[in-house]
Amino acid sequence: MPSGFEEIPHTADVALRVWGNDLKELFANAARGLAWLMADPETVQPEKEIRVDLSAPDEETLLVTWLGELIYLNERDGVVFTEFDLEEVTPTHLRGTARGGRAGEFRRFVKAATFSGLTIRPTGHGLETTITFDV
Amino acid sequence: MVEKKDFRRVDKYIWELPKETRPDMRVPARLFASAEMLDSAFRDRTVEQLINTATLPGILKYAMAMPDFHEGYGFPIGGVAAMDAKTGVISPGGVGYDINCGVRLMASHLEKEEVAPYLRDLTNALYRACPSGVGEPGRIRISPRELDELVVQGAKWALRRGQAREEDLAHTEEEGTLPGADPSKVSARARERGGDQIGSLGAGNHFLEIDVVEEIYDPEVARAFGLRENQVVVQIHCGSRGFGHQICDDYVKSLQTAIQKYGITIPDRELVCAPIDSPEGRAYYGAMACAVNYAFVNRQVLAMGVREAFRDVLQGKVRNFDLYQVYDVAHNIAKFEEHEIDGKRVRVCVHRKGATRAFGPGRPEVPTAYRDVGQPVLVPGSMGTESYVLVGTDRAMEISFGSTCHGAGRVMSRSQALKKIWGPDLKRELEEQGLVIRAGSTKGLAEEAPAAYKNVSQVVEVVHGAGLARKVARLRPLAVIKG
Repeated sequence: MPSGFEEIPHTADVALRVWGNDLKELFANAARGLAWLMADPETVQPEKEIRVDLSAPDEETLLVTWLGELIYLNERDGVVFTEFDLEEVTPTHLRGTARGGRAGEFRRFVKAATFSGLTIRPTGHGLETTITFDV
Repeated sequence: MVEKKDFRRVDKYIWELPKETRPDMRVPARLFASAEMLDSAFRDRTVEQLINTATLPGILKYAMAMPDFHEGYGFPIGGVAAMDAKTGVISPGGVGYDINCGVRLMASHLEKEEVAPYLRDLTNALYRACPSGVGEPGRIRISPRELDELVVQGAKWALRRGQAREEDLAHTEEEGTLPGADPSKVSARARERGGDQIGSLGAGNHFLEIDVVEEIYDPEVARAFGLRENQVVVQIHCGSRGFGHQICDDYVKSLQTAIQKYGITIPDRELVCAPIDSPEGRAYYGAMACAVNYAFVNRQVLAMGVREAFRDVLQGKVRNFDLYQVYDVAHNIAKFEEHEIDGKRVRVCVHRKGATRAFGPGRPEVPTAYRDVGQPVLVPGSMGTESYVLVGTDRAMEISFGSTCHGAGRVMSRSQALKKIWGPDLKRELEEQGLVIRAGSTKGLAEEAPAAYKNVSQVVEVVHGAGLARKVARLRPLAVIKG
């Protein structure tokens, strides 16, 4: 598993612990974690690029909105996003680029990113959170 | 930290946590379980999520978890909560993302031996007729205007389009149309996700199964349901697809600000909610009802696909290839019902998340053909294991707002299942037992392995023993189709 996230046990759905030095890294790692849940990222040719500009009232809602955007695009276009250049991530605004493509090995369909127990916490090294996905 | 000793045993199968367990609880919490099963509630966040549910404004009597309980998000799975329709809240986290995920049971006129020679052909024909898996479009195409009509009219729309029979509607919860659907409360994104998925199973734990009625427990009720031993039947398990997922996603986000506006404190943000009688609460209900109707139509269109596959394979080979609908039940839903509480009739909004309505005899909501015996309850087991047909009881009306379990309930996470079970091995094992399997992915198969679930028979024994529903028939799978 790549660094920046790890899968943690959840009886029915799937959950990831995600960490990063700052919001920008945390959000990019969460998106990489989502891609890893959906597919083997090694089998994705990142040939499609999209611009993302999202707002939300707080950082947890922004994180759910960001992951929800990628889940929606996956269902609509079949694209798994694996590369992220996030130019700006504040607690209420995210702006950047995501690149992805169709996966050679698709792992599972993710329905949604949930707010279940979701809190972005400061740690000695930066930030950390746990995200539960409905699958 | 709540422990087993904090629970008071109300009777053999009811365990109660007093309201004083946590200061923010408004009502006690009740778990329906055998003594052995109760231990499993402490292996994940079931108890914590049940306590959280007990904090919601307007909750009446108890926050409850049916015997197939396990950790979910917001409510636990198996969660039931009835809110006062005047003073309570409605919560998308109490319904879930797959709004009106549910089960339909169709019965054939055929014996197992009549179908056996054609089972493989039939399974392949069903696999072709009922699209499953990720990214597969559904059986029918509709315009955006038709989608608006479909989500308001539900199964009536399907009837008009030649995708249903009158008697299918009569044997569907709410007759396949939940009132109050408001398409103006559904986002463009939800419409886009749902537009081409009508008549598709999806992935995950959704399935289509050919079963045989292996045992009848209650001959009188079984006769009323049109079920007999050795009869071939079909189960369809799926929901509202991307349409429902997006509606839940939209409202869990947008209601985050409503809780501040109404001064509601919640212990978990997934339990976000709004007063039922508020613009935000009405908007969610209107959108959720659209997804409920979408799911009824989805299963209805798939049912026509099942009939088509039976006709294509069995015409000229058997005496009668037709299938009639026994019942269709929702297990992720919030709806308005009248219940008797402390001697008074009260209008409540019952949230059932991974729980099934189980109304007893005499209720007007139960179809005429079943009104003397009670509502059919469909409890699918895990893949390859038995399923049950139950009947609703008066006791369920008294102790669980007419609700019961919805399935086996998971005990093992998907990643654990993937570590322990190798999909191709499992497929071979099930095939050696005589089961025909068509699955889009062997990984998906491993995640849904029987070992990842509680034993459905034990769950049903608790349900039967507690009086939440009564056993009518047990089904054994012959063929399974999964996305």
